[in-house]
Amino acid sequence: MLTTTMPTKLTAVVAIAVCALVATMPASAHHAFAAEFDVNQPITLKGVMTQWDMVNPHSWFHIDVEGPDGEVVSWMVEGGSPNTLIRMGITKNTVQAGQELTIEGYQAKDGSDKAVGRNFVLPDGTRLFVGGSAPGADGGGR
Amino acid sequence: MQTRFVAVAIILAFATVSAAQTPETYTAARAPDGMPDLNGIWQAINTANWNVEAHSAAPGPMFELGAAYAVPGGFGVVDGGTIPYQPWALEQRDENFENRMALDPEVKCYLPGVPRATYQPFPFQILQSQQHVMIVHEFAGAVRTIYMEDHVEFPAPSWMGWSNGTWEGETLVVDTTGFNGNAWFDRAGNFFSDTLHVVERFTARSPETLTYEVTIEDPAVFTRPWTMTMPLYRRAEQNLQLTEFRCVEYSEELLYGDLRKPGTPAPPR
Amino acid sequence: MRKRFLLSITISIGFVVCASMAEAGQLRLVQPDLPPGADASYVAPRTPDGQPDLQGFWTNATYTPLQRSEDVSAEFYTPEEYFEMLSGRVDREEAQTVPGTTGDVHYDFTQFGLDNSQSTLSLNLRTSLIVDPPNGRLPDRVDGQGGGGRGRNRETQYDQVQNMPIGSRCIIMGGAGPPLMDAGYNSNYQIVQSPGYVTILTEMIHDARIIPLSDGPAAPEELRQWVGLSRGHWEGETLIVETSNFNGGRPFQGAGENRHVTETFTRLSDDHIDYRFTVEDETVWNRNWTASAPLARTVGPIFEFACHETNYGIANILSGARQEEREAAEAEQN
Repeated sequence: MLTTTMPTKLTAVVAIAVCALVATMPASAHHAFAAEFDVNQPITLKGVMTQWDMVNPHSWFHIDVEGPDGEVVSWMVEGGSPNTLIRMGITKNTVQAGQELTIEGYQAKDGSDKAVGRNFVLPDGTRLFVGGSAPGADGGGR
Repeated sequence: MQTRFVAVAIILAFATVSAAQTPETYTAARAPDGMPDLNGIWQAINTANWNVEAHSAAPGPMFELGAAYAVPGGFGVVDGGTIPYQPWALEQRDENFENRMALDPEVKCYLPGVPRATYQPFPFQILQSQQHVMIVHEFAGAVRTIYMEDHVEFPAPSWMGWSNGTWEGETLVVDTTGFNGNAWFDRAGNFFSDTLHVVERFTARSPETLTYEVTIEDPAVFTRPWTMTMPLYRRAEQNLQLTEFRCVEYSEELLYGDLRKPGTPAPPR
Repeated sequence: MRKRFLLSITISIGFVVCASMAEAGQLRLVQPDLPPGADASYVAPRTPDGQPDLQGFWTNATYTPLQRSEDVSAEFYTPEEYFEMLSGRVDREEAQTVPGTTGDVHYDFTQFGLDNSQSTLSLNLRTSLIVDPPNGRLPDRVDGQGGGGRGRNRETQYDQVQNMPIGSRCIIMGGAGPPLMDAGYNSNYQIVQSPGYVTILTEMIHDARIIPLSDGPAAPEELRQWVGLSRGHWEGETLIVETSNFNGGRPFQGAGENRHVTETFTRLSDDHIDYRFTVEDETVWNRNWTASAPLARTVGPIFEFACHETNYGIANILSGARQEEREAAEAEQN
């Protein structure tokens, strides 16, 4: 279980009860992603993460995927801003290079080895960061 | 007779004041929280942003801009003269210089990093509160949060680094790590890696000036730590404010112009 | 596991809030914007230079719309109605994430903690942020047309970077304003006060608005900025900030370079700042209008949001559009 000190403090300050944790989407982001990645080219990438660039406006996962021919292709996969995860105690040390990962998403329209990651799933079936066990997180943030 | 007496008295008074207030002995006024007051808008006046090492005047990279954007000569701000690069790094610096128009992150309006932000030809503002000292730069609106309490290690790398600060007597000491290594020291290709460690010391030397001393350490690039020193000058205008230099709009054509739809005219300058 | 843990905490505290609100119906009528459980006699601590202390990390994340919905007439929700409204919003957002639809072409917000259910939300029982005009809607436009903001031409928006949305280009985002508006996620602010200044750092895109508290000359007409030029002063417990000199590059509800914004900040409790703003633009509306968008205390840090530096999306979108055009041209030839 991802242990941090932040979430209870976050939710204790202002209480909002919601029925389910779902993905919300600011309207402006919606459009741009569908222009960058192809809804008709869903893809599943299974491989070894070499690096997680904790950058903005969107973070990027570098993952080496071995094809059926044995050739390893390096993919770049777009994820979310890391800023809130950092407030939850996630750091550069949380996900290590070498972490096996399965990413379900959509491929870039320009045909390059890039994708947007919809779901980032660990070998035990749980989701990366939120929603299941993840590689140990440092405490901290402020 | 009386006038001469008064004149002498005044001269003596100034002499006394000057003797008591050398840069070495000057103590700044206190901020309301009791700390030395370094609040204000400051700016460096030197050629460090062109090249932190001593350098001759030289043509700029584009002859069309003539003298307006040529390089002024300078004595340099590196203590001891030259940066102690490892041999591979010196070659890399020279290669950076050859390709500086294409590679200098400042051209692309990327965040300038530390210490370059301090000596770019733009003002910056120091804003002191107890928990945080903020330094806000006009260039690209770069922001530095200096954590004065609850020091922790950087959670992730960044352009401006992660700064932990303390007061040592009259000096604000800022210890910064967590750089992503993508910024440069200047326009001449002087660079560092993501293991850069910067310690800055800001000390008031007069009501209108600070001494800025920087210790640079990066075992991946340099053979030893090295330092740079320079004065910083208070911008004395009444009611001065930092103005926007968002600069993203000024770099977009350079970065993305080649991805324009064929047949679409570029916007007018 | 962790999701359920978060959920149980929010529900239990939510019920406590609901109960106190239902009992204290009088409190709601007399002091409608006082947060539940807050002390009406609260006075903010002082900074070392004597300003009421607004410092800390704050958020304006909210589900409350700017304008009152057509099918709502009351100024306030009851707590029960409020939670029903929230659930409705959540359900609508859930509908966007069906695989194979354009809505699914996005990273899952919940995995990065960016969804509202994992954020501090600024509690607000109002049915609209707009408090004046009393109908909770924008005033009539001078040109008689409806809607705010100039439309973007969706046909040509990916022909060149300069046609793309200002926020996508990483120039400035809605959270910076002024006025300060919910950015959608990471809608966080750090307020720092120093002698003679209040500085508001907006997380996206590391926008530091340094507000001088001294009197000064009128700002020159020719100096215009995306965030305008601000000047503030204290009146008792309230900070009043006036901003003009916008460059009009990112209109707010249709108001561009002629808009004038007045913001007020009043600390009502340790965890709550009453934040209101009045927008004036004679070239757009026949009268000014005022909204209340409170700030709730949240946690830091505000990590560097370096946007332009790693904005790969622009290049990806433009090259994707060029690729599609090439493929369409080839298909036509064949």
